[in-house]
Amino acid sequence: MSKDILVIGGGIAGMQSSLDLADMGIKVHLVEKLPSIGGKMAQLDKTFPTNDCAI
Amino acid sequence: MLDVGRHPNIELLAYSEVEKVEGEAGNFSVTVRRKARYVREDRCTGCGACAEKCPTLVPDAFNEGLRNRKAIYSLFAQGIPSTHTIDADHCRQMNGKKCGICAKTCQAEAIDFDQKDRILELNVAAIIIAAGYDVFDPSQIPEYRYQEIPNVVTAIEFERLLSASGPTGGHLDRPSDRAIEADIEEMEKSAGKSQKALVKFEEKYGESSAAFYEKYQSGAYPDDEDRKKWADKYADHLTVVEPLEALRKKAEGFDVARRLAFIQCVGSRDFRFYPFCSGYCCMHSIKEAIIAHEHGPDTTSTIFGMDIRAVGKGFEEYKIRGGNHSNITYVRGRVAEIVEGPDNNPVVIYEDTRERKVKRQEFDMVILATACAPSKGIAALVKTVGVELDPYNFLKTSPLSPVDTTTPGIFVCGCAESPMDVPESVAQASSAAERAAEIVFQTDLIKEKAVA
Repeated sequence: MSKDILVIGGGIAGMQSSLDLADMGIKVHLVEKLPSIGGKMAQLDKTFPTNDCAI
Repeated sequence: MLDVGRHPNIELLAYSEVEKVEGEAGNFSVTVRRKARYVREDRCTGCGACAEKCPTLVPDAFNEGLRNRKAIYSLFAQGIPSTHTIDADHCRQMNGKKCGICAKTCQAEAIDFDQKDRILELNVAAIIIAAGYDVFDPSQIPEYRYQEIPNVVTAIEFERLLSASGPTGGHLDRPSDRAIEADIEEMEKSAGKSQKALVKFEEKYGESSAAFYEKYQSGAYPDDEDRKKWADKYADHLTVVEPLEALRKKAEGFDVARRLAFIQCVGSRDFRFYPFCSGYCCMHSIKEAIIAHEHGPDTTSTIFGMDIRAVGKGFEEYKIRGGNHSNITYVRGRVAEIVEGPDNNPVVIYEDTRERKVKRQEFDMVILATACAPSKGIAALVKTVGVELDPYNFLKTSPLSPVDTTTPGIFVCGCAESPMDVPESVAQASSAAERAAEIVFQTDLIKEKAVA
């Protein structure tokens, strides 16, 4: 039996899940297809409705 | 992103794909293929010296092809991990040509052309699928002439043009103008080369090429082979220089885009493609219009849509603020067609449903708010993982358990489940994390019971 969790996809959703689980003390394996994480959100300049920087 | 890279409990497996999943909730065996980067992760410092020296240019997918990257690259400047990757399809060395400049440049000796894919076996209690989405390809809609008219771009391309770290450094340079500027640069290079050759002849014979060419054409030097070469070179030079001057003159009048049109529901709420509402595009267009106005206070934007769906905390206020302070006009009507007018200006033909009139309006640039389409790789992924899709190819869930897939122990969040914006994705991600954690803690409880 394992206590680890696998997250597939390193976009905003995958990163948030991974961080939440990791903060609970659970070991997370985050698999991303591309060379870096960030997903579509990293391509955005700012996010609505606060115009915060996406990265 | 940085937090994810640094967290001691997260093992980041970037540039990897899941190949096989077996087992059940609480006990899945997963096979992960770590694709070869041809750069050693333990040595690469991400300094980028290799990418600076690499001679091969490849269209940069991160910047939607609006800029080139090298064959050895990091996805984007702040990318985590910062380890560079060799694009084996384009690298000269990997395709049997002589190169290896990156290996010579790399002080950390991280380049390894013989690196192989590695297979990793994992044992996990639960799986979260956050595979995201793809942007709808608007070239499927012939009447919008995406890719035919250069100044018709997608929302994500426009996002890169607005970005300070993007291909234009945040200036709204129009793609048609950028293409001409690239042509000018190319022609200047070739004119510079031919100029050098002409200078050699001029020094040899002590007269200017123009004066010589006039004499040559009037029949002087009939049997002089060397002078014939000179004349041919000069004639070639003229064929480049004359159009170059014309283009330079044209480029003097280039300005940033100031009149913007945003077209909503491109691919979504359209029975030919996706009948659903993608949810975030109305707000995305408003945001882009507001940011464009911040970049240039005389920028005006017109948003064409059936209705503006500003559903969310603070969204309606944002929409109104855009109208009041950022020169945004909202037009109710679906755009019928985009045609190209003078100066590469796109002309939008639409029916203003408030006035019941068909109108034409010219803009500097048109931005298509493209639909959130299911990701292309999702069908293969769900087959590997063993979950079901809904009719649109998003992951199948039920309204009362929106993060549970059809297989126990496997959860979904973000746009892989359905189209959603950033705040919703984050909320759903936390929810999926909690559902997955339940399984981990349940296995603890079962063990405790067994001991008791």
